[in-house]
This record gives sequence, C-alpha cells and structure tokens, in this order.
Amino acid sequence: MQTRQWLKRPWIWWLFLLLALIVSVSVGSVALPLNQLFNPDSITYSIVWQLRIPRALNAMLVGGSLALAGLLIQNLVKNPLADPYLLGVSGGAASCQLLVIMLGLSLSAEALFLIGFGGSLLATLLVLKLSYHGRIKPNKVTLNGVVMAFGFAAIISFMLSLADGQQIRSMMFWLMGDLSFAQPSWLMVVILGLCYFLLRQQHTALDLLARGELFARKSGVHAERLNLMVFVMTALLTSMAVAQAGTIGFVGLIIPHIVRLLVGYQHRHLLSVTILAGALFLLIADTLARTVLSPIQLPVGIFTALVGVPVFLVLSRKI
Amino acid sequence: MLKAEHISVLLENRQVLNDLSCTFRAGEFWGIIGQNGAGKSTLLQCLAGLLAPNQGQVLVDNEDMHQLDPLSRAQKVAYLMQEQEPSLAFSVYQAVEMGRYPWPDNPENRHRVTEQTLTACRIDQLKNRSILQLSGGERRKVEIATCFAQNSDYLLLDEPFNHLDVVYQRFLVKKLQAIARDKAVVMVCHDINVVAKYCTHVLMLLGDDCYLSGDSATMLNKANLEELFDESQ
Repeated sequence: MQTRQWLKRPWIWWLFLLLALIVSVSVGSVALPLNQLFNPDSITYSIVWQLRIPRALNAMLVGGSLALAGLLIQNLVKNPLADPYLLGVSGGAASCQLLVIMLGLSLSAEALFLIGFGGSLLATLLVLKLSYHGRIKPNKVTLNGVVMAFGFAAIISFMLSLADGQQIRSMMFWLMGDLSFAQPSWLMVVILGLCYFLLRQQHTALDLLARGELFARKSGVHAERLNLMVFVMTALLTSMAVAQAGTIGFVGLIIPHIVRLLVGYQHRHLLSVTILAGALFLLIADTLARTVLSPIQLPVGIFTALVGVPVFLVLSRKI
Repeated sequence: MLKAEHISVLLENRQVLNDLSCTFRAGEFWGIIGQNGAGKSTLLQCLAGLLAPNQGQVLVDNEDMHQLDPLSRAQKVAYLMQEQEPSLAFSVYQAVEMGRYPWPDNPENRHRVTEQTLTACRIDQLKNRSILQLSGGERRKVEIATCFAQNSDYLLLDEPFNHLDVVYQRFLVKKLQAIARDKAVVMVCHDINVVAKYCTHVLMLLGDDCYLSGDSATMLNKANLEELFDESQ
C-alpha cells in the first residue's frame, strides 16, 4: 500500500487551502488592484471582504462538511457508492425550498436556510425510522434512502414542470448547488468542529467499524452507540450544507475515495485530511464556476464533477 | 469461569438452542462438535456476548455477560468469526493491532505486543501487505492473530482451521493447546480426530435439544459418535 506520508500532515493541506484561498480571492469578473485591499473606501475592499472572502469561506465549510459526511456514511453502510444524500437529506431540503421558491414567497436567506434544514432533518428522520428494527440496520438505510430519493426526485420534477421560466432558472441553480447565496454560518463552523472533535476521540473505533459491525462489537466497540452518533452527525452536516448551498453533488462521494487512496484507511489521518481536502476541492470548483465564463456564473455542481472525475481516474490508475 | 446457564435462542422463529448449560474453565481446551445448523456458531456468539439468549444467561467470572460494557467484555473474551466479511485495505499490521482495542496501552506497548503476535503467528513477513491482497489462508492467519493480540481470558474460535494448510493447522492446534494451559479455549471444529487428540473436553450438539458435555476421553465413545453421525438428523 503506497500512501504518501507527507500528505498525512494536516498543515500541508492548510497550506494548499491558504494558497487556493489567495488565488480564489484575487481572480474574478472584476480585476482588482491589490494595493487597495485594505482601503475601506475602495471598491476592491468591498468586493474582497464582503463578496469573495465570505463566498470562499462558505465553499470551504460546505466542502469540508460534505466530504466528512461522505466519509462517515460510506463507513456506516459499507457501500462505496454511498454519498451523504443517501439519507434523503437533499430531497427533503430541495422539496421544501423549491416549494417556497415556486410559491413566490419572498423569504429572507435565514428563513430559507431554516426551511431547508427542517426539510432535510425530517427526511433523514424518516429514512432512519424506516430502517430501525431494534437498531439502525445499515443495509436497510441504503435501500430506504435510494427509494426515498426517487420519491423526492418525482416531487421535484413535478414542481419543475409547473414552474415558469424565471423560476426554473433559480430552481436549477439551487438544485445544482449555489454558493453565492448565503453568508458563511458560525453554526456550521461549530458543528463541523464539534463533529471532528468527537470523531477524533473515536478514530480507532471507526477503523474497527469499517471492518464490519460484528467485528467492531466483538473487538469491544459500543457499535450501536457509535452507529447512532455517526448517523446523527452525517444528517446534521449534510442538512447544514444543503440548506446553505443547495445540493452540490460529487464532493461527498469522491473526496473520501481520493483521500483514502492518498493517505490510507486509518481514521487517525482520514478525518482531518478529508475535511481539508473537501474544503480545498469545493473552493477550487467554485472559483472555476465563477471565472471560466465570467461574467456568467455557472452552477458549482458542474465543476465538482468536471474536476473530480479526472482527478479520481488518474489517482486510481496510479496507486 | 465462563458459564452458559439454561440458555435458549430463537432466531427468526426457529428454536436454535434450547436449555443448554455448560461451564468452561481455565486450563480446559473444548471442542464443540455437531452437524450443520445444530447451533454451534449461535452458541459461540452467545458465549462471546454478541447475541443475547432469549432465556437463560451467560456468566463470565460470575458477572452477567450482557450487563458488561463492550470494552470489559472484550477484555474477557476474544471471538474468532467463522467468516470475516471483506473490508477496506488495512495492512496486516494495522489489522492485528486492532486486537489491542480493548486495552488502554501506550503506543510502545501496543507496538511491542503487535510485533510479538505477528512473529508468534509466523506472519511477520506479511505485515505491510494489504489484507485484501492476501490468500484466504493468509487472511485467516491474520484474523486468528488479531484474536491472540486481544489476550483475553477466554478464547472462542469458530472453525479456526478453515482455509489453513496442514502445516499451519498442526502449528495452530499445538499453540491452542499451549494457550489452554492457563486460559480457556473453546473451538467449533468438524475434525473429530483433532478434537479427540487435542481437546480435553467436548460439547456435542446432537440435535433434538440433546447436548452432551464432558471430558473428551469418555464422551467420544461409540454410542455418542453414532448419534453424532446419524444421517436421519
């Protein structure tokens, strides 16, 4: 197993992230003179500090949360095709928020966030409840999650077919993910930080859980409790991300795979590197989305796949 | 002392075990024999505390197994599954190190015990390989080594010799015999000759809720073996 020792060090990833942040903030549809960066009266100041940096932070937070949620759900259901949206989160949030858009209600960003968050938590609880027979059965979660996703997809298509042209455009943006919408939220920082902190204490138990629930139990892990904790975390992280930025695909699926190829299978390294790599990846994808055809902004979901697929294919050949 | 007291197990409405009692003590090497579906693996899972019996209880050193928290349970009992599900590509070293989970080791001690176990199980040359690239027999050796690294007082093994070559089978059974001098070893095994030659005690699951246990020399008599090999079961 060839893992790269230097890639296991989080500070390397922080460095990448800082570089990407500097690049991301300095490119865009308006060229900015950097000497004006700290002059509060200049246009540069307001674009950088009020638009680009919040958006970049938002991308990093959402990317990190989705990647961590993906790592967790793949461990829980032991299925490499699982992504955070398996819990019905995206469908629940999308249905509620699209309904709001379609009804033409003009709600504040915070209200829309709360509606999305509520919808996704409800959908997740439904999936988990349906999969609960004395304890949560991971293979039931997979099946119920996929079936529920089809149900929500039908509701979403139904709403799209009823919407008029202008609504469809904003709905499509939302369905493919849009980071320009919301301000970075402190709640998300706290939840992501707390999840990481709690999971870090359990990193060996997570390794054991990855080898199967029975294996974990026989080795002394309180598997029922760990499973429940991890399911709740996945649901929280994904709901926050979706409520914040819509359903950005592919990050939660592909980043955990890429990181495993790079640093191996031990959660001691996986947890921090996955969060940082997810943040880096979504920051790059979002920077591309708003600069490639600038001044037109494209949905970031297009670029997560356009960047992620070749990176994954090259890595999986090499390693 | 690991003790099954009148345990009964229902799995999906099928009575798998009915009122089975048996006591396993340190210094004893037990073989569990019986036909397929007789409930051998179910019994082992109950003894390992992974399956709660519907009636009766399992006591380990006079404590109810199912009242114990998972860590202290794993400190008492190590369990080898019949088939380990395939998993992620951990290295052999990492896999064996997982056996140390129940113990609050410092890193040096953990490393030392893992290395010792790898050497003792003759798999130290495999330690950097991925467990997914091993042959079936090699993977079995890793699973057994993981149980040994756990260093528990009671060792429960479900068909430990599966996939192993004859050389390693003989090596393993002698090793188990040595371990059983100061611990209790309980294994499910289909090889009556191995059980007769090495085990001090035997538990026979004969079907129709008939369970016989005792020291192997007296239990493995002609009448009992005829019962065991009865094709009408």
